[in-house]
Amino acid sequence: MSTALKRLLALLFAFSLVSAACGSNAPEEADDGGGDDSAEPTDDGSDDSSDDDGDDSAEPSDDGDDGEVDLVQGTDLTFYMITHSDEGPFWSVLKRGADQAAEDLGVELVWQGSNNDPAVQAQDIDAAVAAGADGIAASLPSPDQLIPGLQAAVAAGIPVYTLNSGVNDYQDIGATTHVGQTEVIAGNGAGQRFNADGSATKILCGRQEQDNVALNERCDGLAETFEGEVISEFMDLDADQTAQQAAIRAAMEADPDIDGFMGVGPVIAMSGLRAAQDLGRDVVVGGFDITPELIDAIEAGDVLFTVDQQQYLQGYMPVLLMFLEVTNKNTLGGGLPILTGPGFVTQDNAADVKALVAAGTR
Amino acid sequence: MTDSVAETEIAVVVDEADAAAIAAETEATAVAGADERLAYQGVFQRLLIRPEVGAIIGAVAIWAFFWAVANTFGVATGFGSILDGAAPLGIMAVAVSLLMIGGEFDLSAGAATGTFGIITILLVKDVGELGGAGLSLHIAIPLSLVVALGMGYANGTVVEKTGLPSFIVTLATFFVYRGFKLGFSKLIIDNISVGRIDEGQGRGYDFWRPIFDGVWARNDPLLESRDALWLLGWLIGGSLIAIAIYEMNFRRAQKQNPIGAFVMLAGIVGAAATIWYMHNFDGRTENTLASALLLVAALAGFGGLALWRYERQKIGSTLFTNETLTWTLAGVASIAIGILIAGALDMEAQQSVLALVDALAWPLVLAGGALGVFMAYRSVAGFEDQQTAIRSVVTMVALGAASAFGVYGFMFMTTEQGLRAILLGAFVIGGLIVLAIAAYKAGRVSPAARFLVLTATSLMGLWLAWFVQGQSRSVKFRTEAFSVILLAAAMVFVWGAVSMFFATRHEDDPVAARLSGQAAKLGVAIVGVGMLTRLLFTTEAEQALGRTNPVNFRMSVLWFIGFAVFATWLLGSTKFGSWIFAVGGNKQAARQIGVPAARTKTQLFMIVGVAAWLVGLLLAFRLNTLQSGTGNGLEFEYIIAAVVGGTLLTGGYGSAFGAAIGAIIMSMSKLGIPASQWNSDWRFAFLGTILLLAVIANNFIKTKAEAAGP
Repeated sequence: MSTALKRLLALLFAFSLVSAACGSNAPEEADDGGGDDSAEPTDDGSDDSSDDDGDDSAEPSDDGDDGEVDLVQGTDLTFYMITHSDEGPFWSVLKRGADQAAEDLGVELVWQGSNNDPAVQAQDIDAAVAAGADGIAASLPSPDQLIPGLQAAVAAGIPVYTLNSGVNDYQDIGATTHVGQTEVIAGNGAGQRFNADGSATKILCGRQEQDNVALNERCDGLAETFEGEVISEFMDLDADQTAQQAAIRAAMEADPDIDGFMGVGPVIAMSGLRAAQDLGRDVVVGGFDITPELIDAIEAGDVLFTVDQQQYLQGYMPVLLMFLEVTNKNTLGGGLPILTGPGFVTQDNAADVKALVAAGTR
Repeated sequence: MTDSVAETEIAVVVDEADAAAIAAETEATAVAGADERLAYQGVFQRLLIRPEVGAIIGAVAIWAFFWAVANTFGVATGFGSILDGAAPLGIMAVAVSLLMIGGEFDLSAGAATGTFGIITILLVKDVGELGGAGLSLHIAIPLSLVVALGMGYANGTVVEKTGLPSFIVTLATFFVYRGFKLGFSKLIIDNISVGRIDEGQGRGYDFWRPIFDGVWARNDPLLESRDALWLLGWLIGGSLIAIAIYEMNFRRAQKQNPIGAFVMLAGIVGAAATIWYMHNFDGRTENTLASALLLVAALAGFGGLALWRYERQKIGSTLFTNETLTWTLAGVASIAIGILIAGALDMEAQQSVLALVDALAWPLVLAGGALGVFMAYRSVAGFEDQQTAIRSVVTMVALGAASAFGVYGFMFMTTEQGLRAILLGAFVIGGLIVLAIAAYKAGRVSPAARFLVLTATSLMGLWLAWFVQGQSRSVKFRTEAFSVILLAAAMVFVWGAVSMFFATRHEDDPVAARLSGQAAKLGVAIVGVGMLTRLLFTTEAEQALGRTNPVNFRMSVLWFIGFAVFATWLLGSTKFGSWIFAVGGNKQAARQIGVPAARTKTQLFMIVGVAAWLVGLLLAFRLNTLQSGTGNGLEFEYIIAAVVGGTLLTGGYGSAFGAAIGAIIMSMSKLGIPASQWNSDWRFAFLGTILLLAVIANNFIKTKAEAAGP
């Protein structure tokens, strides 16, 4: 038994070394081609603790050579963007923004997605601090686990920014500012859109995750401003769209008064639209975030709007802000969060946005 | 009575049939032959030890439950939604159940569905360089099928060649699928939502779309005789099923008595006339009269059948022993208490008894906790030494706390109507179970004693029916539930009367078995046709009322039914099916008797691959665009559906049909919450409870039925 265990441990150790080696390649690739997505999140997850030094001492020198050609300052700066990314459509756009900023500024960007695992993210943060990052931008889906690490980063004199989620906590951390959208305000905006449209009186706010604070806040924000009634219910996961659609349909059938549907994600918004079409009912549909098919539906007039939090900016801006803070001691925001949303995609601008979506920046 | 004798029919019938059932056949087997391998199994025992029976009863119970609380259950739209939600899950669950019976798991099944859909779309897409292959769908679809078969083959081969558990091999495949879906999607089209399959327009899209995503809108076709067909389907089909049960249960007489045939014919004619009468005359008196006539007709029909074909027996003179009397009175009392409480709650407080609930909340919570402690106390080892004592105390505290918390949660959530319904339901179901036990015990005393118990049951049913009719605010309770309870009470009474005078069979009878098998199949088919007409067609009257939401039946439902039927046939009627059971039960033994074990298992993995391919295409054509996360994590739902359907996790036992029912149970549990407009925060708690209850009930019924043998 014990030898078997030892072998297993040895195997695991070897595996972690291999994956660490792979992980160190990732940032290079990301730097070369702006839109290249082969930097795998899983690798980043594992290069957290064991290999921070090997990882970073190697790369800046590599890229420094390329970078110095056309850039004045910031030649060997390494910024870390440590997120809870699941590499979904949303995050891939955000990542593209961050990569673009790094390319524009000629800095090194280490992108780490933890696929919603706070423990991995906390490790990544510690590792970044230990590696001597020049700046850390992190999303804060579960503040309690991540705050200590980021506070340590601030204490170590590293500029820290929060992005996407974390608007309530960035000041506790001592982060310079937060770049993102506050979900309640986004929900407020959606409510006003429904008001302006005027045809909905009772909105079903469908959530695709049951215990995600942000999604709940979107529905709460909607209820704050919308002049009719709002019911907020969990429908089903995005991974099972058939069940999601059936659940929405069942809810609409059970309550004939429902004449509006707010999907707090792009996939569930489409499920809501399909459910309404299935029922042959006239339901005003609003959505959150962007997928190509949702844009198509908006363009066709089937969906009223989608709330766009312009996540490209959430990737781009923190890199730019960190760069400016490090190189020129500038700070932006005056201690207040920098909001990237809500922007809205409606039938008017759908065609323009569509082209940008195709380019992968919206 | 109304046009529809209600979909809940089975629910109640099953409950009460159980009562009669367990009594009848346990008694039958108790005296059976000496060699237990050759022992004769009574008809109900045979039914109850089938793996899917628990699932069917569970499905009917859940359906009845939601029928009671949600408006959209019980109408065709609700049913359309249930089937729609169940179809992809069910196709996969059926395939996975085959694999599980064969003793293996496939954790990659969920991710595989998305994978094959995405592969097809990528093959079809045509956006220039690296943008997709731009193939015709006529090529892309078979090609992705080949990939699916190949992946299934690979899974199976790796499992067989390495001898590693399939659990870990397919877990690896799952991650590979996940990575490939994301990686290739982004590599090829630089986006993780992969659309759109309708770019195959002009390249076979129009040909394949109706096959995978045809939609049949139910509100267009009118069929004025729909409700008549529906009613007739239930009556004729139900009678055939009942005849099959009678045929299986009773011993055939040496010499047939033609008078019985005439009596039976008279009963049938009488029943038909009564139904015609009910259809044309409406009113309380008329309905009462019709109900009485129907009871007489049923007595004549089934009594005639028995007189015609079955052997008489002595009815016995001993009536009640103390034991049976106690049980009977307890059952009657329980039902009576339930009805009285429900009545009292309504009379004393017109609007709300929630104040009462508030006042009683803590006592009830404590009572629940005490009950939990007591249950634990009954099952713990005792307090002999320190270790046992500690373990016992921990068990009691844990169970007590859990039940107190359960009661608290329930009190917190319930409404007045809910409380009433649940109290009534609990007392009535408890009473029925007690009466079933009483009937079983009485059956061992004398046939006459059992008849008395069943008569008491039937009378309580009658009271319940009138109570529901008089008290309920809901139309569907006053009409449909009322009719069903009445009918069930009548059937119990008739069964009790006939089985008092005629002898139960204790030995195999191939002729009777074949005959009743055919009658049962025909009956199920006729009931099915009746249900289908109700589901698929609409009437002008219904349209005029505007009560009909459009019902769209999709091709996925047809594929689901087809696949379930195919798998059931494969498992039950082919050599391959026997091999599946053999390799799942004991692979080594199977191999030694000449079953190609490795090949069988590999083929099972390939069947799962084909199912995933089918579901992937259904999703792709329906949604047009697939997310790279599609299907991830659903593999456990497939396994759960299979287990709920009676398939064992250990292999060698199970049912493909049961897995299909399991999928429907899952779908109903998921949809019931939004349909009832309950707070969805509790959804998973509810789902978990339902699943646990379904599995416990399944297990309980099976063990009891098996133990009832010699």
